Amino acid sequence: MSWSCVQVEERLSDYLENALAESERIEFREHLETCARCAPLVAQVSHVLGSLHALEAEPAPPGLTSKILDQTLGPRKSKKEWLSWIPILWQPRFATGLVTVLATLLIIFHATGVKPSNLTLADFNPVNIVQSANRRAHLAFARSVKFVNDLRVVYEIQSRLQPATSGVPNQQTPSATPSQQQHKSPNESQQDGFSNQRFAEVAALVANATGRSAP
Amino acid sequence: MEADAQLVQRCLRGDGPAWEELVRRHSRRVYNLCYRFTSNSSEAEDLSQEVFLRIYRTLASYRTAYGGFPTWLTSVTRNLLVDHYRRSRHDRMTDSLEDLLPVVEEKHSPMRTPDKAAMARELSQQVQSALSRLSPELREAIILRDLQGLEYNEIQQVLSVPEGTVKSRINRGRIELARILQDMGVRPS
Repeated sequence: MSWSCVQVEERLSDYLENALAESERIEFREHLETCARCAPLVAQVSHVLGSLHALEAEPAPPGLTSKILDQTLGPRKSKKEWLSWIPILWQPRFATGLVTVLATLLIIFHATGVKPSNLTLADFNPVNIVQSANRRAHLAFARSVKFVNDLRVVYEIQSRLQPATSGVPNQQTPSATPSQQQHKSPNESQQDGFSNQRFAEVAALVANATGRSAP
Repeated sequence: MEADAQLVQRCLRGDGPAWEELVRRHSRRVYNLCYRFTSNSSEAEDLSQEVFLRIYRTLASYRTAYGGFPTWLTSVTRNLLVDHYRRSRHDRMTDSLEDLLPVVEEKHSPMRTPDKAAMARELSQQVQSALSRLSPELREAIILRDLQGLEYNEIQQVLSVPEGTVKSRINRGRIELARILQDMGVRPS
């Protein structure tokens, strides 16, 4: 006598796990051959069982073991954690920042005239830093004052020479002969005297500016 | 490899590395048990930590006669999962409708790749989704038997129910799972 649908459902797992006796197995199969409801069910359960067995174990989250050990044994410092900052060095963001800082330092050293190779521990003393900055500021100020004064002298020389040269319509060329120079008109002699006077003034001005006495 | 029972004895004497070895050896198994039961990796991670915390505190109560350290560990995990299930029952009832929606979308999704690995991944997700719709009694029986590979007598110890009940739950769970997957469009090829 063949089994009923209820019996087949109850013993389905035993059938799939080969836990049925031979006679039970035959009766189970006989029912499947004649029942349009149970045959697909057995096929579906068999498929599900295969899918369940094929399911791979999920990997545990990376920090799970560490978290458990921290909670039970207390926080520990592993070697890996110790060196965990090293990969940061290879990040482009860090490299760009580093290059920028180095370039800035280079510019500052160059501008202030500091040579990194000559630096000593004493140079990092705040008192020395302030004194050095003060001295450099005064030097820079003195240089700029001197530069402005020099410029002023140059412009003054230029302005004094300007009327003397612009007032001469025909300048003598270097190729002029001595005979030509001997025959100077009264007007030309006056111009010579004027130029000499200007020259003397400029010479005095230059002497003042350079700190020497006029000839 | 040193036996679990020896490691437990060393742990009880205050040996830190022995405990570390026990955790490394069994954390994946406990995590998988929690993940298959909750279907949520974050919850599974929190529960795994809770399981080991409980194991650490109650390690002295472990007896080798109980049936092996993994069985005891599974039993503690299962009890904690049941507690968690009871605690979060209300949240789950409000979420149940939302849980159904992605499955319906998945079923009609035109983005199906013929790649075998992708198909296996999809089937794995569908099986996990179907598992989460089983009642907790049937789900835990299926997880212990078909995913963790425990013997019937071990499951009997973990669940503290007669072997007949264990077999019945596993059988009903498989049939129920097959029907859920059939409704989701998963059929034997």
